Amino acid sequence: MLRFLLRRTLYGLVVLWVVATLTFVLLRVLPGGPFDSERRLPPEVMVNIESKYHLNEPLPKQYSRYLTALLKADLGPSFKFIDRDVKDIIADTFPVSALLGVLALSFALAVSLPLGLLAATFRNRWIDRACVFLATLGISLPNFVLGALLIWIFSLKLGWLQAARWGQPSSAVLPMITLGAMPCAQLTYLLRSSLLETLNEDFIRTARAKGLREPVVLFKHAVRNSLIPVLTLLGPLFAIVVAGSFVVEFVFAIPGMGRFFITAVTDRDYPLIMGVTVVYTAILVCANLMVDILYSVVDPRMRAH
Amino acid sequence: MVALIRSAPISRTIVFFSLLFVCACKSSSPTANERVFRVNLGTEPPSLDWSLATDHVSFNVIANLMVGLTEFDKNLKPAPVIAKSWEIRDGGRQILFHLRDDVAWSDGKKVRAQDFEYSWKRLLNPKTASEYAYSLFDIVNAEEFHQGKITDESAVGVTATDDTTLEVRLKHPTSYFVAITTFEITYPQRQDVIEKFGTKWTEPENIVTNGPFLLTSWKHENEIRLKANPNFFLGTPAIENVEMFMVNEMTTALAMYEQGQVDFIDNHSIPALEKPRLAKAPGFKRVPQLRGEYYGFAVDRKPFNDPRVRKAFAMAIDRSVLPTLLRGGQLPASSWIPPGMLAHNPKIGLLYNPPEARRLLREAGYPDGKGFPSVTLIYNTLEDHKIVAEAVQGMWKRNLGVLVRLENQEWKVFLKRLLNDPPPIFRSGWGADYPDPDNFIKLFSSYSPQNYSRWRNSRYDRLLEQAARELNEQKRVRLYNEAQRLLCEEDVPIVPLFTTAESTVLNPRYSGLEYNSMGRLVLRDVRLKTATGAN
Repeated sequence: MLRFLLRRTLYGLVVLWVVATLTFVLLRVLPGGPFDSERRLPPEVMVNIESKYHLNEPLPKQYSRYLTALLKADLGPSFKFIDRDVKDIIADTFPVSALLGVLALSFALAVSLPLGLLAATFRNRWIDRACVFLATLGISLPNFVLGALLIWIFSLKLGWLQAARWGQPSSAVLPMITLGAMPCAQLTYLLRSSLLETLNEDFIRTARAKGLREPVVLFKHAVRNSLIPVLTLLGPLFAIVVAGSFVVEFVFAIPGMGRFFITAVTDRDYPLIMGVTVVYTAILVCANLMVDILYSVVDPRMRAH
Repeated sequence: MVALIRSAPISRTIVFFSLLFVCACKSSSPTANERVFRVNLGTEPPSLDWSLATDHVSFNVIANLMVGLTEFDKNLKPAPVIAKSWEIRDGGRQILFHLRDDVAWSDGKKVRAQDFEYSWKRLLNPKTASEYAYSLFDIVNAEEFHQGKITDESAVGVTATDDTTLEVRLKHPTSYFVAITTFEITYPQRQDVIEKFGTKWTEPENIVTNGPFLLTSWKHENEIRLKANPNFFLGTPAIENVEMFMVNEMTTALAMYEQGQVDFIDNHSIPALEKPRLAKAPGFKRVPQLRGEYYGFAVDRKPFNDPRVRKAFAMAIDRSVLPTLLRGGQLPASSWIPPGMLAHNPKIGLLYNPPEARRLLREAGYPDGKGFPSVTLIYNTLEDHKIVAEAVQGMWKRNLGVLVRLENQEWKVFLKRLLNDPPPIFRSGWGADYPDPDNFIKLFSSYSPQNYSRWRNSRYDRLLEQAARELNEQKRVRLYNEAQRLLCEEDVPIVPLFTTAESTVLNPRYSGLEYNSMGRLVLRDVRLKTATGAN
């Protein structure tokens, strides 16, 4: 197990280096620079700015400077948010995104597990159809539409919740549902199909033939075996929701990290783009590692491997 | 997973997440009886350091924290604030600002002329790398100091001769220089504070200011809180507290206004489709802005190297249609200097005249558009720009028989294209940094970095130079009229389209909010209307 963990950590570091390098190269290829604006700057002013941020150095030197700083966990200063380090920006915004992501994923799990279970248990009956309908709705409704719809209903029409901003516990409800809807729908579908497949397995038939009660068959034998594909999906889902969503953060004015995946690119804020990309990759690598560990908890056969 | 869920009691999980949530939120809304005025900034201000800020969001916060030598009055003329008066000497080459001696910083120290000298030299220092450093290049040795050609700060022509006198020596008479002192970049700074806290000096616990409000908290990406400065020398503002939110999404911000969570919204919070509805709402106001939009031509290449073609294209545009399409209170403009600014002249410029446009195009060798080469109009991706481009494309097709292709590009890609290879026709705009025509008209001088059309006219350059040095206002206006005729009637490297307006809605319970034509939100005179609620 330890060897396995070490090997995966090493792979993770290689992935991080590849992503960091690719991001660095792609940003330099992208037309337009961080200080291009409608008010074009005189050359003498531009020279001083480029010198301040080392943009006048040759690309290999910039790259080595960037990698060296990265090894020291120094992500450099933001070009857009002057006088703020990318590290500080991520430290301010990531906890908000992470909390919202955890809440959204908890919501998704809390809703999808019973829905998937009900749908599979009552296959082809109205309960199944209702669950599938809800899941289809969750997948097909874009989150900016769902977010706007929730604001319209619960804030403007009913006046129960505030339209946006992060401050009070109640302000997390609408973004949590909006962000959690898609993972919830995906997990419901997956659990339903996985459970249906498991319920047709020989060992389930054997369990029933031995006279075990249906809840025992379902919860002790079927559900546990159906969780493997759900866990596989949970890794990337966790990384996606925890790193923040541009749309949800934008619609609900949440001070999270997700917005920077878009705004930092349009601003050509190189250090911020590279910072959020590296953090996102690190989360993804860790989440996948956690899933691998959880596999062995759910399925003892994996431990043997 | 199942095992994990089983092993953790649900109640413990709920408590854990509740604590996590409370920690992450770390804020509480003020109680209703606090006198709080709430506005939406739209986005996080990139910097509250007025030597480094470049955008209007930052300046909207700074303008409520600080005051400078002057501010512009209702007629857009510089009016005294910290400078009680100024003397122009040596034929305009020297300006002496006489400062009030009763202005205090928020830590109680007096605002002195030395604070201005430090701030201006910091702006010019190459290490500061300020984007606006060039604004002070009219000062003796300022440009050389910024370029690193001289390193002796004392050679730069700004000196505090004593605590209340600031002497500015200029390279040449500069008629607009006092107007520059209305700009936030010239506000004073405290050397001791900046040296002590370095890049963190603008954080609430460190910053020292002299304006109507004090910065009490800055939760990045979320909100800024201000409180009235009890020692502000022009009187404590009526509103005790201000909250500035950073809600980017327009429909959300509008929902917050309609829910009573925000007291003032502007264009950043009003979707275009909602403007006609809100125009009937109490508290709605349209504020014309010193910002112009234009289409430019690449004059160094065919077919727009022929002034007749450029004039034909200009005269085929019916500008009066554009405000109806955009619904934002825009004002059609045939000349470049915007209304409200010295030397604005609506009589200058080519008006809509399709027969004359067709005649000019025929004369240029393209009767009814026949034989006209394929040209493209490029604009940066934005819904309003698309609406205008499609409308103008229709007018050119209808009036000239020319089909212009349209192309939109992402903002930074578009800027790169303008710089390296300007398209035959392009969209651009300009907002005033300070309310003087020089800031607008010199965009198209031969030496301007903004002159994307690559038009060069030595007569135009000379007129601008003369106007900049001319201290007599009437003579200046005459020179600018002549320059505008060259720009908008004779050579026509650009076609002015319209000047913009800001749609604003103020909660009817309040009055006194000033949203000026420079797009600054001035809150110091805001007050509750009701007698019981008045401060």
